[in-house]
Amino acid sequence: MDKFEPLILGFACNWCTYAGADLAGVSRFQYPPNIRMIRVMCSGRVDPVFILKAFAIGADGVLVGGCHPGDCHYMEGNYKARRRIELTKRLLGQFGIEPERLRLEWISASEGARFAEVVTDFTKEIKELGPSPLKLQGNPERSKGSR
Amino acid sequence: MKGDMYLARSSSEEILNKTESGGVVTSLLRFALESKRVDAVLAIKARDGNRYDGIPVLISDPEEVIATAGALHCVTVNIPRYIKEYLDGAFNMKLAVVGKPCDIRGIIELVKREQINLDNLFLVGLNCSGTLSPVVAKKTIVEEFGADPLDVVYEDIEDGKLIISLKDGTEKTKDLKELEQKGYGRRENCQRCEVKIPTMADIACGKWGVTNNKKATFVEVCSDKGAEFFEEAIKAGYINVEQPDDKAIEERRKEEKEAIESALKWQETDFAPLKDMANEEKFDYWWGQFSQCIKCYGCRDACPICYCKDCTLEADRGIVTPGEVPPSVMFPTIRITHVMDSCVNCGQCQDACPAEIPLTKLIHMLNRQLDAIFKYEPGLDISILPPLRTVTDRELTMPGVELAF
Repeated sequence: MDKFEPLILGFACNWCTYAGADLAGVSRFQYPPNIRMIRVMCSGRVDPVFILKAFAIGADGVLVGGCHPGDCHYMEGNYKARRRIELTKRLLGQFGIEPERLRLEWISASEGARFAEVVTDFTKEIKELGPSPLKLQGNPERSKGSR
Repeated sequence: MKGDMYLARSSSEEILNKTESGGVVTSLLRFALESKRVDAVLAIKARDGNRYDGIPVLISDPEEVIATAGALHCVTVNIPRYIKEYLDGAFNMKLAVVGKPCDIRGIIELVKREQINLDNLFLVGLNCSGTLSPVVAKKTIVEEFGADPLDVVYEDIEDGKLIISLKDGTEKTKDLKELEQKGYGRRENCQRCEVKIPTMADIACGKWGVTNNKKATFVEVCSDKGAEFFEEAIKAGYINVEQPDDKAIEERRKEEKEAIESALKWQETDFAPLKDMANEEKFDYWWGQFSQCIKCYGCRDACPICYCKDCTLEADRGIVTPGEVPPSVMFPTIRITHVMDSCVNCGQCQDACPAEIPLTKLIHMLNRQLDAIFKYEPGLDISILPPLRTVTDRELTMPGVELAF
């Protein structure tokens, strides 16, 4: 297990976190390559189904990044995201998937350094947790390599 | 007036002879039809007199209302779903609906989802101390009471006891708690249900608070619509009322409190083993359960909260692989995420499940956990939107990524 490299899926909101990630890249901040980013227009667009699907097809962790409260481009998308993440965490927890594998962070467009920091920290945390139980189970969806 | 309480009694001998209580619900339904306040009445009756086979009936002839008189405890139909699926969500007809607290709560949740038109409904709520699944009820009667289920003319739950009256006039009583510990008795979800008096309906009727074996129904008027309706029914001579004394009100409150305490205890007993499992145990337990799923969609079709016309779980939506049984983890998890914030603990999913997956237990437990964050009681208050559709003012000032109320 020492060589475990987690697979982390990141959802980044177009207006803040994605720009923050961009800034991290432009500024040459280093962060682990374990994360795969998907840009969404708003953290409020992240349906719990997306998160479940990520875990179902083998993600070890899911990071959702949104604008700080009060900064949402769509007024209250991030507040709704916060509620959904709370709900999804409870669900994962009940099924034996550690809720810590799902993390919500507020990262603004100017916080390139923070983006790198969050990804580094999250990757470290997931490494300590080990592979997702769903992955270990040899989940059929994963072996089929479906979408 | 809203909040008024009455001890009421039907003025019709015919109805009184047919029921164990004051016959108020039947009289109100008849009044609703005869005064043309509603187009039809939706209630439950025993099919061909079989107490274990309750069916929903839509009645427009006042003479037929009497067939629905009397309580049925061994019936588990799902009223909100009928209104939505078969009666067009009451958008085109005025209905008087009779329901247990979970039925009324389901209706209110569907109203919030714009699937049912509340303006066209008159909701008659029945106090409920629980229902029995027909199969378990028959088993209980044969094995525990030593009686023939078909001889039962009336069953009741009172003071923590299950009482059955037989054709020959004998009455048998058993302690409900003892029965339930042996696996008989009420449905699991009813044991855990903490909403006993449906104050979210227009009026709430029941027998708690009726003392001295009086033939009467205790009525609480819960809305302005209910008040107007009830007062008109009194004026038209369908119902006689008297004021309940403080003792009766206190008695009713006490009964409710005891029932709720018992429900909370059941919640603790039932949820604790699931909560206390270690992570791997939880994982193995639930995936073990879900691997029995035959993807019959029974839980989805029975659920009063599920309402999408195009369901994410259908084969053509690219999420759940067509023809795959048991379905992947997406199937149960998506269904649960979609309903867990608003579960009214009606027990329909678990009743419907041919694989006997403890779905209601799981969803209700998750819902109770969410209650700690969202402070949302499903189906109780029409003015509060489901948690995932709303944001409170307090939240706007919370800077963190976690909700902490």
